[in-house]
Amino acid sequence: MDKMVLSKGDLSKFITEILKKNKVFAPVKSDDTILFKQITKPSELNIDFYNSDVPPKALMFHQTETLFKFSPGTKAKIESVDTDEKKVIFGIRPCDAKSIAILDHAFKGDYEDPYFLNRRKNTALVGLSCTEPALNCFCTSFDDTPASSKYVDILLTDIGDKYYVEVISDKGKQLTKGLSTLFKPAKENDTKKKKEVEKKAINMISRQQKTNGIVEKLDKIFENPFWKEVAFKCVGCGACTYLCPTCHCFDIQDESTLTKGARVRVWDTCMNPEYTLQASGYNPRPARTNRVRNRIYHKYNYYPKNFDVIACVGCGRCIDLCPVNIDIIDVVTRAGEVKA
Amino acid sequence: MVDEKQLRDAVKKTVSREDVKYVVGYEKGTYGFQATPCFAYKPEDAERFIFSPLCVHNLTVFPMLEEKPPLRKGEEPDTRKIGVVVKGCDSRAIVQIIQEKGLDRDKVVIIGIPCTGVVDPKKIEAKFPGHVKNVEVKDEDDKFVITVDGKTQKIPKDELIPDKCKTCEYPTPVLYDTLIGKEIKSTKKEDYKDIEIFEKKSLEDKWEYWEKQFEKCIRCYACRNACPLCYCKECMVDQLNPQWVRRSVNLSENTAWNLLRAFHLAGRCIGCGQCERVCPMDIPLMKLNKKIEKEIKEMYEYKPGINAEEKPLLAMFKPDDPEDFIL
Repeated sequence: MDKMVLSKGDLSKFITEILKKNKVFAPVKSDDTILFKQITKPSELNIDFYNSDVPPKALMFHQTETLFKFSPGTKAKIESVDTDEKKVIFGIRPCDAKSIAILDHAFKGDYEDPYFLNRRKNTALVGLSCTEPALNCFCTSFDDTPASSKYVDILLTDIGDKYYVEVISDKGKQLTKGLSTLFKPAKENDTKKKKEVEKKAINMISRQQKTNGIVEKLDKIFENPFWKEVAFKCVGCGACTYLCPTCHCFDIQDESTLTKGARVRVWDTCMNPEYTLQASGYNPRPARTNRVRNRIYHKYNYYPKNFDVIACVGCGRCIDLCPVNIDIIDVVTRAGEVKA
Repeated sequence: MVDEKQLRDAVKKTVSREDVKYVVGYEKGTYGFQATPCFAYKPEDAERFIFSPLCVHNLTVFPMLEEKPPLRKGEEPDTRKIGVVVKGCDSRAIVQIIQEKGLDRDKVVIIGIPCTGVVDPKKIEAKFPGHVKNVEVKDEDDKFVITVDGKTQKIPKDELIPDKCKTCEYPTPVLYDTLIGKEIKSTKKEDYKDIEIFEKKSLEDKWEYWEKQFEKCIRCYACRNACPLCYCKECMVDQLNPQWVRRSVNLSENTAWNLLRAFHLAGRCIGCGQCERVCPMDIPLMKLNKKIEKEIKEMYEYKPGINAEEKPLLAMFKPDDPEDFIL
């Protein structure tokens, strides 16, 4: 790992350099929403933000993805869609970067998903440490930190008058190659400062989820009335799942007109009754209790059993945006306390 | 200020009745400025009930969300009543649903709260950003008394209330079985000022504005699910055969969804603002609802959700109804 520093004034020069060879997606503010959007010049970037409203998973796993296009008739043509473009996600938070590493397991699983994996291969993640975690942030509950460099290619940390730059991977090295006028080697004092910033951010996180032994515990309380109590106030919308950086369920549909068609993949949500509705009319998850429970189990039981990692990064979006305050910190912590 | 003891007593009394299944009200939320829906199945549960300006949800959605799972052989359906705690605006939703025969009047027990205005969660979070703890919000004449971690501040209500409260004509529930406290008369009037300003924009500007808004929509349907009046057994956007709205999330389909939602509420939306409150993408949905409400008021002098005996707007005909919009 290379440790360097970048003066704040040179940040836009760095972005300009990246823009020469890559499409760059970065947090952009419009009205009150922050979203990762493609930028064409450094000034469009908004660096002063807690986190984006929609997680950057949307750039890797599109909400609507055309898998291929087709035409009707006996001489039908099938046209594939190109996903092979070099891309940089600039300013991704460490928690969201981890979420993409978590998604790798699902998309690399029994069937390799070329759409996600191609994009993953061609995308570099330039992370930005959180110096001020928000009220519902709880990444430290999963032994991560707001300034973790584990899942990014480059990590920038604001250490006051400059950025502390950690170049982690080959992709990161490619992005900084030949830019020695911008990046200076970090001094011991800079490394110390980064650690201080990280520690301060960790201490700011005020909420913790208790996940000790949760996988085994959930095995024992599947039928517990606790889930009914948790789910009773759920109104059944998909805000929690769509805005979750690790939720990755999708639906596939053919959308066509008389002259052309496309097979599209769209985000789906287990909060939707249609999600498990079978052609016979039978629905194995007929009630909201079943569906809310599934959301928790998928993240805290099935995923860790399959891939050895809890599928939650502690970004807090589902908590912030639930219409009725179903709070995953509270739900999981209380599940741990339920008498089996 | 609502007397919480009186509220809890009313909840206890209601839930003790043999013909009541549960009562839905509010309790303290899990963080910051949150209150959350709370259910009492037995009298002790009423101890958790609160009412404060943080009680922003319209709980009348819950009787409409009741699930009717298939019954086992010999099992009888639970037809007991549901108790609901309502503010003025919320009560209009119940009235409207009863009017539409979506719910029987004798299937709900309504505990009414005369409301002096709630806080807009987005406004209060902007005013008190960051890691707020030990929050208490009270109501004192035209101010909110807000305590955060031991420090108390008084803030004029106008700064923190949602737009719907600024023009609220029905602070006291229009229908109730028990009223907590005294009736409040409103001196406010809905003047549709914001809508009139917006109407003056050019067609291009309006279109550009809504395109920008609808582009953001992620079609999570929080607006629909939090709305007590969106209670269709199967929503048009969920239908597969025929499929009216595609699952693709793009400007065209998003526009279709947002407009069909607004139009399906024409003459029915009672203006509780839940759709806008819950939208994770901050789409100003009330602007659409209010525009339609204004048109209907001007044309038919009709306001939804006032009188449960009245017929719904779209189910009645008067010979002198205006018809200038019919080509």
